[in-house]
Amino acid sequence: MRTYILKRLLLLLPTLFGITLITFFIIQLAPGSPVQGKLGLEEGVRAEEITKEIMEQTKKLYGLDKPIHVRYGIWVKQIVTLDFGNSFKDHRPVIDKIAERLPVTMTLSVISIFLTYMISIPIGIFAAVKRGTVTDRAMTFVLFVLYSVPSFWMAIVLIYFLGGGDHFDVFPIYGLHSQGAESFPFFKRALDFLWHIALPVFCLTYADLAALSRFQRGSLLEVLRADFVRTAIAKGLSGRVVLLKHALRNSLISIVTILASILPAMIGGSVIIESIFSIPGLGKLGFESILSRDYPVIMAISTISAFLTLIGILVSDIIYVLIDPRISFEGRV
Amino acid sequence: MSRPFMAVMVIIAVFFLLFSCSKDEEGAEGSSGGGRKQAQADGKDSKRDGKENRYSIYKDSPPVDGDWLIYNLSAEPGTLNPILATDAYESTVNGGNVYETLVKRDNKTLEIVPLLAESWDISQDKLSYTFHLRKDVKWHDGAPFTARDVLFSFEKIFDPKIDSAHLKNYLKDIKKVEALDDYTVRFTYSKLYFLALEVCGGMPIVPQHVFKIGDFNSNPANRKPIGTGPYKFIRWATGEEIVLGRNEDYWGEKPHIMRVVFRIITDSTVALQVLKRGELDRMGLTPIQWEKQTGSDSFNEEFNKLGYFTPNYRFIGWNIKKPFFSEARVRRAMTHLLNRRLILQKILYDLGEVVTNPFYINSPEYDKAIKPYLYDPEKAKSLLEEAGWVDTDGDGLRDKDGVKFEFEFLLPNNSETGEKVATILKEELDSVGINMKIRKTEWAVFVQRLQQRKFEAVTLAWSMGVESDPYQIWHSSQAEQGSNFVGFENKRADELIDEARGEFDRSKRIELYREFAEIVHAEQPYTFLFCGKATVAVSRRFQDVVVYPLGLDPLEWFVQKPLQRYGTALVH
Repeated sequence: MRTYILKRLLLLLPTLFGITLITFFIIQLAPGSPVQGKLGLEEGVRAEEITKEIMEQTKKLYGLDKPIHVRYGIWVKQIVTLDFGNSFKDHRPVIDKIAERLPVTMTLSVISIFLTYMISIPIGIFAAVKRGTVTDRAMTFVLFVLYSVPSFWMAIVLIYFLGGGDHFDVFPIYGLHSQGAESFPFFKRALDFLWHIALPVFCLTYADLAALSRFQRGSLLEVLRADFVRTAIAKGLSGRVVLLKHALRNSLISIVTILASILPAMIGGSVIIESIFSIPGLGKLGFESILSRDYPVIMAISTISAFLTLIGILVSDIIYVLIDPRISFEGRV
Repeated sequence: MSRPFMAVMVIIAVFFLLFSCSKDEEGAEGSSGGGRKQAQADGKDSKRDGKENRYSIYKDSPPVDGDWLIYNLSAEPGTLNPILATDAYESTVNGGNVYETLVKRDNKTLEIVPLLAESWDISQDKLSYTFHLRKDVKWHDGAPFTARDVLFSFEKIFDPKIDSAHLKNYLKDIKKVEALDDYTVRFTYSKLYFLALEVCGGMPIVPQHVFKIGDFNSNPANRKPIGTGPYKFIRWATGEEIVLGRNEDYWGEKPHIMRVVFRIITDSTVALQVLKRGELDRMGLTPIQWEKQTGSDSFNEEFNKLGYFTPNYRFIGWNIKKPFFSEARVRRAMTHLLNRRLILQKILYDLGEVVTNPFYINSPEYDKAIKPYLYDPEKAKSLLEEAGWVDTDGDGLRDKDGVKFEFEFLLPNNSETGEKVATILKEELDSVGINMKIRKTEWAVFVQRLQQRKFEAVTLAWSMGVESDPYQIWHSSQAEQGSNFVGFENKRADELIDEARGEFDRSKRIELYREFAEIVHAEQPYTFLFCGKATVAVSRRFQDVVVYPLGLDPLEWFVQKPLQRYGTALVH
């Protein structure tokens, strides 16, 4: 097993290298350039001699005067020392900008992922047990309605009706803290924070409930049809024990596959929700840097999420082996 | 699928459509700028002004210090260094608050008046401008402001290692800057330019003693500005807010408001809600918010809705180098096909005015005598036929020399107004046998296409200064690669533009511009659409809120003691 993990880790490097290579070229070859953005429209479309000279200077400043393969080489050289360079937008180190926003996005996504699992797994179990009944159908219906409601719409509706102004004043509707929250005692500050993230977390959570609970329902039903469950029932075990001890555990194996996508999702953030609720998160940072062609920031974010995706896949493979003795690494790779 | 289920889905879909439409309006610009004194002149609002409410009883009391003013910013500035900044948010925060320039435009007269410079002399040949600086100005950290700071700022702007591309371009006609002594500085131009005083007098100035240490581009002071202005920087919480506090040692007249807070609220629907909750004091409204979402009595009791014209105009540009639009007749036909009054009414709720030439409508340069081409599809058809665009093969599309009249209309993907204009135009064109495709692209791609002239028609809005120079956009020397992307070339227009650039007598310049405007009107390289009005809501607790031609000046505002919400404390 150790050799397997080692092999996989070694394989990770060339894969990551390939991903960054492709991303780097796609980003830099896409139309539009950061220099143009700096000049603005009026100046950017001018091409007098002096303007050209200024554009050349600016390119040189950003290191864009060198050919693209040389630039990639320089980027790789920096990245091995974990230096992501400076943002074109404000010349701050990219790593600082990410570090500033990462905790915000992580908190939101960890809470919403946790809630999604905590709610949808029990719903899935319940629906599997009550399969075909009116309750099952009603639940499926409600979940699918939620699934079909776009989150930005939900966000605006919630803000409109629960955010004060003309209707109920229940939740704060932007940012993460109240005015002057720095001086609150710890408990009050935490409460204030939770109050602020209530709506965004709801909007991040509700749509995923449907998919995950259906998934859990399906996999539990499959296990319940298996021979060993019939045997267990035949030898007289109570339905409860069969369900919770034997069937449920086995049905969770397939949920583990989804774990692989959680790690990158944790830092991905949501552009829409972050924008509506004015939350300074990574999703918004990534989106804005794409619009302004802030290459170092785009590269840093995509490299980090590529890395986390690869790690996520590896981790879920390892967990597989740990929880399911039928799977082993012997003879693989 | 069962029937009730379908019904629910349809209802959800309808809701979705309704809400997404109203959300989409937020594209309009909510910038501050200029217009006539018309605070009370704006339709709906006027009837409430005579009414007494808890705010109006304090109308004539003398100004007192205290309270905060809270704005919203729809995005965060990239930096607070005016030399590096490329977005408008930096100047919203800094401009006139933290950093100051040598001269500024007077609120009322729009003339250039002293700020950090006490006075200035212009040489006989109009090429050198000598500024005499105030001797009592101090930076916020106590260091004196001198000519060395001006010189340093100029040198930094032109340093190739400094990321100041747009300023380098803007100031490129300045040949040199010298400090004659500690309080005298001279700018020398390489060519005559009537806007020279405004250009060099408006150059951003940063403190030498702060910025000479370390790397300029990533200097910590880029996020903690130290200026000379009436407000000092206090705090910038990334993605949340920027806070300024009154500068108690300000050299000039101190403002009454103790603190100015800029809250970063990206979504305009949310911002309006926050305003209604009383957590914002001032906000730029979108046309639909102005017209439909701020009409309640309770809103108007708390807020004043103010509108004014900033120097800007929206237009459709026709690429003259393409066969379709090479003839003025065709371009005029296009203008005749567009019902601009109706569009203004339906899309902007009349918050603007139809324009006919490229000058600021509240300046004497704007020629009011030119009457807009009226909506007249019949006239348009006959113009098209005169130009030879007839449907010869009976396929429903006009053609000429074997080319069908089919073109692409380019617009940036976040331009809501542009998209609506395009849709209306498309329908009109359909009915006269012209096929138009709407093409939306991301901003960066849009700019590149203009640069490469890869478009047939385009819609955009220009914003400019109070006095503007048509050179960049209209001179034929800019047609190959400059901002004159429609490819407008007219010999007489070139002569007029060139002459006006070196003409320092405004009334003579206005005459030249009148003739120029007539040429542009006849040629119609642009179909001029409208000058949009800036629309703002301001809490009624602020007194002395005057709408100047260029907008509002919060440095004059104050709040009566009983109405103050945040008191006089500088730091909480």
